Amino acid sequence: MSREHELPGAPQPPAPPTQRWVCTPPIDIFDNGEGLVLRADLPGVSGDSLELQVQDNKLTLFGRVVPQAPEGARLIHQEYRVGDYLRSFILSEDVDHERISAKLTNGVLEVVLPRAPQPEPRRIQVKTD
Amino acid sequence: MAVFRWGSALDAFRDMEREMDRVLRNMDLAFEGLRIGRPHPPVNVYELEDEFLLTAELPGVRTEDLELSVSNGHLVLRGERSDPQPLPEERYRRSERRHGRWERVIPLPDRIRDDQLGAEFVNGVLKVHLPKAPSTQPRQIPISEGTS
Repeated sequence: MSREHELPGAPQPPAPPTQRWVCTPPIDIFDNGEGLVLRADLPGVSGDSLELQVQDNKLTLFGRVVPQAPEGARLIHQEYRVGDYLRSFILSEDVDHERISAKLTNGVLEVVLPRAPQPEPRRIQVKTD
Repeated sequence: MAVFRWGSALDAFRDMEREMDRVLRNMDLAFEGLRIGRPHPPVNVYELEDEFLLTAELPGVRTEDLELSVSNGHLVLRGERSDPQPLPEERYRRSERRHGRWERVIPLPDRIRDDQLGAEFVNGVLKVHLPKAPSTQPRQIPISEGTS
């Protein structure tokens, strides 16, 4: 589920770089009739610590988490790992980038990717002499 | 890129399926197989000076759908993640998130003041505070000397 590596392209904090866990969050993608909706489980991520970026046709989500226990707490039983979330997707050219919207509720991110309206096929008149 | 688009716009839309992190996802799926049968939700337990802290990740669960109780020295976590808009399966391009009811029963150590538990649920992370009972004095057990 998790891998330990440096985040590619993530801004490096000025503090001494510490290795952090990065998780690939589970997602659902479904068609709501007007486009696609993406939901991702990002427990521990708040609106302030979530970056959602569309560059060219790549959608990248990066959620930074804070430790779930105060400093000095000793982990005595572990069944899951806490880590930042990173996942990216290639958007098809049909997605209307200007209308992409997102909200975060109870640790679940929902991104709405509306389909751009397609122009009607245009019939080209062929003139004959 | 095709100059003329005669086909359905939907077909092109399906290209979104192509993802950057395919390799990483495959690793996840391999791991997913191992995860089947594991109790849900997974929990972590930390020890602090005056309490134990139990944490669980429950994204998408509403506070009103979460129930915590203590009985007979066991902490019972019960809840449900409901699907806000259930759709037929064919609408899904990818379905990795699970929904439904779950319950988990966790035995508590004796050293807990189970009448003083506290819990908070923020951004899909549940934290249950389990205050430690004041340590009891070691008790000497007198040994009587019998006559043989």
